Amino acid sequence: MKLAFHHRPEVPIEAEVITPEKLAGLSEAEVSALPLQYGNERVPLGEFFRVSGRYEGEILVEGDLSRVKMIGSGMSAGRIVVDGDAGMHLGVGMSGGEIVVKGNAGDWVAPDLSGGRITIHGNAGHLVGSAYRGSAMGIRGGEILIHGNAGNEAGNAMRRGLIAIGGDCGDFGGVNMCAGTLIVLGRLGARCGASMKRGSIVSMQPAPLLPTFGYACRYEPLYLRLYLLHLKRLGMSVGEAHIEGPYRRYSGDAIETNRGEILLLDA
Amino acid sequence: MSEIGQNLRVVEHATCTFCGCVCDDMDLTVDLDAKRITKAKNACTLGRAWFAEHTIEDKPPARIDGKPATTAEAIEAAAQILAGARLPIIYGLSDTTCEAQRQAVAIADLMHGNIDTTTSVCHGPSGIAFQGVGESTATLGEIKNRADLVIYWGGNPAESHPRHFTRYAVTPKGMYIPNGRKDRYVVLADVRRTPSAPVADLFLLVKPGRDFELLWALRALVKGRKIDPSIEESTGIPLATLETLVERMKSCRYGVLFFGMGLTMTRGRHFNSGAILALATDLNEYTHFVAKPVRGHGNVTGADNVVSWQTGYPFGVNFSRGYPRFNPGEFTTVDLLSRGEADAALIIASDPGSNFPKRAIEHLKRIPVIVLDAKDTDTTELARVAFRTATYGINTTGTVYRMDDVPITLRPAFDSPFPGDEEVLTALKDRLRVLLNEKRGGALRKAA
Ligand code: SF4
Repeated sequence: MKLAFHHRPEVPIEAEVITPEKLAGLSEAEVSALPLQYGNERVPLGEFFRVSGRYEGEILVEGDLSRVKMIGSGMSAGRIVVDGDAGMHLGVGMSGGEIVVKGNAGDWVAPDLSGGRITIHGNAGHLVGSAYRGSAMGIRGGEILIHGNAGNEAGNAMRRGLIAIGGDCGDFGGVNMCAGTLIVLGRLGARCGASMKRGSIVSMQPAPLLPTFGYACRYEPLYLRLYLLHLKRLGMSVGEAHIEGPYRRYSGDAIETNRGEILLLDA
Repeated sequence: MSEIGQNLRVVEHATCTFCGCVCDDMDLTVDLDAKRITKAKNACTLGRAWFAEHTIEDKPPARIDGKPATTAEAIEAAAQILAGARLPIIYGLSDTTCEAQRQAVAIADLMHGNIDTTTSVCHGPSGIAFQGVGESTATLGEIKNRADLVIYWGGNPAESHPRHFTRYAVTPKGMYIPNGRKDRYVVLADVRRTPSAPVADLFLLVKPGRDFELLWALRALVKGRKIDPSIEESTGIPLATLETLVERMKSCRYGVLFFGMGLTMTRGRHFNSGAILALATDLNEYTHFVAKPVRGHGNVTGADNVVSWQTGYPFGVNFSRGYPRFNPGEFTTVDLLSRGEADAALIIASDPGSNFPKRAIEHLKRIPVIVLDAKDTDTTELARVAFRTATYGINTTGTVYRMDDVPITLRPAFDSPFPGDEEVLTALKDRLRVLLNEKRGGALRKAA
């Protein structure tokens, strides 16, 4: 099924209907009639998208969707390909399936993710795989792969799962993290891992660490090798040196349980 | 209120609403002929300027596209704009009464729009932190009577809240602080030596942008963790100074951390606020400790309170779907405008046209803007519809929240020919209800 976005909205659209569960089994006309939230109004999907074909496992969404929020909301299976940029809250509450964005993604990529995989070929905004304000829990599973850079607070309060960033990440990466893995092939911003309880933050570059992280040892963690080989297979630019290591391990956050770790490649 | 001459009158116990201290011990001498305040006893220099400059100007009550109009015409024009908008936003509210703020929330709810206050550009990060970390809090009265260790972080009250030191936290004598200043130890932490610095017994000159690291080190020391002496290099404060300070914090009887925009609006934002709030919480293992943001505008605290009790969230609230949603970054005004998203704006008692980032102002210029203000500002300049309203506290009564969430009733000094914000907003709400009712096919309830 193809959804071609044909004109730019004046104000953002919330398109939680663009998700396999909602589109499966519907005709072109039925899909065109589904409601989009356009500012404070509800408009039929057909007002902004040209629909062609029926859903057979993949939804291709074309155009500049940077003002279209919540694509892939709650999806549990199937595949969405966004040929262009995607707006905020991409894949909110996703539990399975796959979303691929060929351009950039807005803030809040995959909040409340519990399974499935999201791949962004460009950059992502702030709060990738992060908890919403007021929630103590970020993502609980799944994988988020950003080939470009990501903004602040990637993996805020994450509990499980994998976030990999090919470029640099902003400040407070892995803040409040409970568990899970955040791998940054570029640079980490300031104050990564603040308040982290458990979990791993990995970077291939030197990073400024908080005074509550202490040097533990230098080693070649086996599990990391497995993660990196997996990312390499998925097309991320993981080099031999990354796989070989060794890494310097810092433990923290001492204000919390001191059970988290930051691994920095010791090249 | 006492009469002292034919046209002079003294209003006792009036309130200054210029800053968040909301001093309610003003004695105002009012010249009723000239409609101006000639003397403001007890006011600080900022307060005196505030009272002196709010006179009645000979201007039309409203303007539409720059041309003079009546209030009624302007209400019609404003209602038409808002009724036709898809993402209308309301912003400002920190310099008006709670009664007016309440009408603004009702309008946001009615038109399924977005409502945000100046909190989002001052202590919004603290609002996020309260939700994440919690707040150990107190009133300024309690602090005055009990606090023997007073710490100011990232603020310059001597210039921004001149009576904060003398009325609430540094010099006044309190029930358990019989000797005033002598019974208190005062610490000031900032990135530069401001005119507030001389008041402090200990001044911490923090390297710019390193507040979070320093607060984090203090938290670790309070919890008995080890901190490397390299902390001096990264933050500018020697480890020994921090250790002594932590001992003092743990052994005081009642400590308070006041924090300002030097903390909330610099790198780290809500995490900075969160760190200082968490530090206060940590210290409650040892003694009584509280943390309070030092709020700027007269009733910005009221805005937080009103928006919270009506919508459940303090600022950055969106009603597009008919129910409130909170998401700073998405529904905060600077962000909405910078992304070019809103299609109409209702600005109440604030001047984003002068203090917002350029991109946001550019978008404001593209969309129809409605402004309520007692003065001409850059925002009234770019507005499609501008109302001139009476000044709260000087011309109108109402309720204002002091920065410690204590509500205070205002005593106006003299009447204004211009309507109050509440009056304009109520009329706008009523007209909007009729228009939206027609648009949505009579679906809206009649009652308010
Ligand atoms: S401290 Fe603030 S409220 Fe008090 S008089 Fe001065 S300006 Fe007015």
